[in-house]
Amino acid sequence: MKLSFYPGCSLEGMANDYARSIQAVFRELEIELIEIEDWSCCGATAAHSLSESMSVLLPARNLAAAEKLGLDIVAPCAMCFNRLRYSQQMIRKRLFDIPWPVTGEIQVHDMTRFFAEPLMITSIKKRLLKPLSGLKVVCYYGCQMVRPPKITGYTDYENPQTLDRIAAAAGAEVIDWSYKSTCCGASIGIARREIGESLTKRILQKAEQAGAEAIVVSCPLCQSNLDIFQKDRPDRRIPVFYFTELLRLGFSRIGDPHWFKMHFTDPVPLLKSKGLL
Amino acid sequence: MHNMASNREDGPEREPGKERKLIGDRGDFFLNRIQGEAGVNISACYQCERCTNACPVSHYMDIKPHQAMRYIQLGWREELLKSSTIWVCLSCEMCTTYCPNEVDVAATINHLRNMAAHASVTAKDKSLAIFHQTFLEVLVTSGKVNEFRLMNAYYSKPDILKQKMKEGALKEEILLGLALLRKGRLKLYTPRSRAIKELRQAGHRIRGEIV
Repeated sequence: MKLSFYPGCSLEGMANDYARSIQAVFRELEIELIEIEDWSCCGATAAHSLSESMSVLLPARNLAAAEKLGLDIVAPCAMCFNRLRYSQQMIRKRLFDIPWPVTGEIQVHDMTRFFAEPLMITSIKKRLLKPLSGLKVVCYYGCQMVRPPKITGYTDYENPQTLDRIAAAAGAEVIDWSYKSTCCGASIGIARREIGESLTKRILQKAEQAGAEAIVVSCPLCQSNLDIFQKDRPDRRIPVFYFTELLRLGFSRIGDPHWFKMHFTDPVPLLKSKGLL
Repeated sequence: MHNMASNREDGPEREPGKERKLIGDRGDFFLNRIQGEAGVNISACYQCERCTNACPVSHYMDIKPHQAMRYIQLGWREELLKSSTIWVCLSCEMCTTYCPNEVDVAATINHLRNMAAHASVTAKDKSLAIFHQTFLEVLVTSGKVNEFRLMNAYYSKPDILKQKMKEGALKEEILLGLALLRKGRLKLYTPRSRAIKELRQAGHRIRGEIV
């Protein structure tokens, strides 16, 4: 099986651990990822805030490159996924002139939904060497992956299940909670720290109240926001994992994946106490 | 009826800037224009406040989302473009998803943000607008956005530097940057993408220049 892979800017910097764990997991599942050649940024919030046509053009360039490959795209970052899908819809409406040859007919997968397909779930379960039993987690989806449903195609946007299914397949104990898709503030923390902190604080608090020992995410920005803004809770820190990190952990009998060093909230003590490292 | 009419004329003098605005004194030009350009049926808004109740940041906004919809119906353009609302909005799409009348509130606020970026009205809080601007500047010069370059470019903007110094937050930001570097989360250099020329051309076209 082959897929074209659109990593996005974050995976080269802030979320390098995500990128490395994705490569490891796909290698394990024997799916070949072909990185889109000479990809460029999707424009994220800035492009659609300042110029609508820029927000259609920027992802369109990558869509055109993927169409040349003729492979479906899988996007690990929620924002990239959302922008690619949005651009595709606008291209199909033919409201903008796109300088590249692009039809917008290629399938864009969000990485979690790709893994949550029944076929992939069985394949994950088959390769699991070390189930993450006893690890109590809540899954946090953020906003761009599920909303707006017209663009993302999620029908269960009120209570999304993809990450829950993946974490359960990896053997973790998944707890239900109400803040699955509440916004974490995204990049607003850079310009307005107080707003960003108030939003992440509430999510962390609710995760703790639900009885979670860790949070599972799939968005690089959600991970950094939830991971970094935990200074005010020194004794009640909650590690924030990418779901691929958990899968990677379950796939290997022995392991101390070195990318845990990139976490601000060190997950190693928790994993050791559960006998998972 | 008579009473109300006379009240309006003889009522107490209002402070300057707070004069009573008449409903629809601009006609529906502004409403029609936004509805056409953003492709949103704003007339359908009946002020149920579902959007404002769903919004995670409505308490940081000076004009709440449902009020913004009403302002558009009334044609109060400058108030909207000056507001902090349009920049504080996270585009998390809660409002759009839960609107019972399918008014795309997030797209409308995004359209207002587009308008404000091209208008001469000065925003009350410029920091977020400057952040988006910096993001696009970095994007156009290298095709990808490197967080290290983005943060450097953002904090060296005079307005931001001044504001962070006044708040005394500069030290905290530098410490966070250093911590990120130590953790290996910042990549100091990103190779340029071949897209720069194409992207720059797209940028010119958007600004209305003929290339």
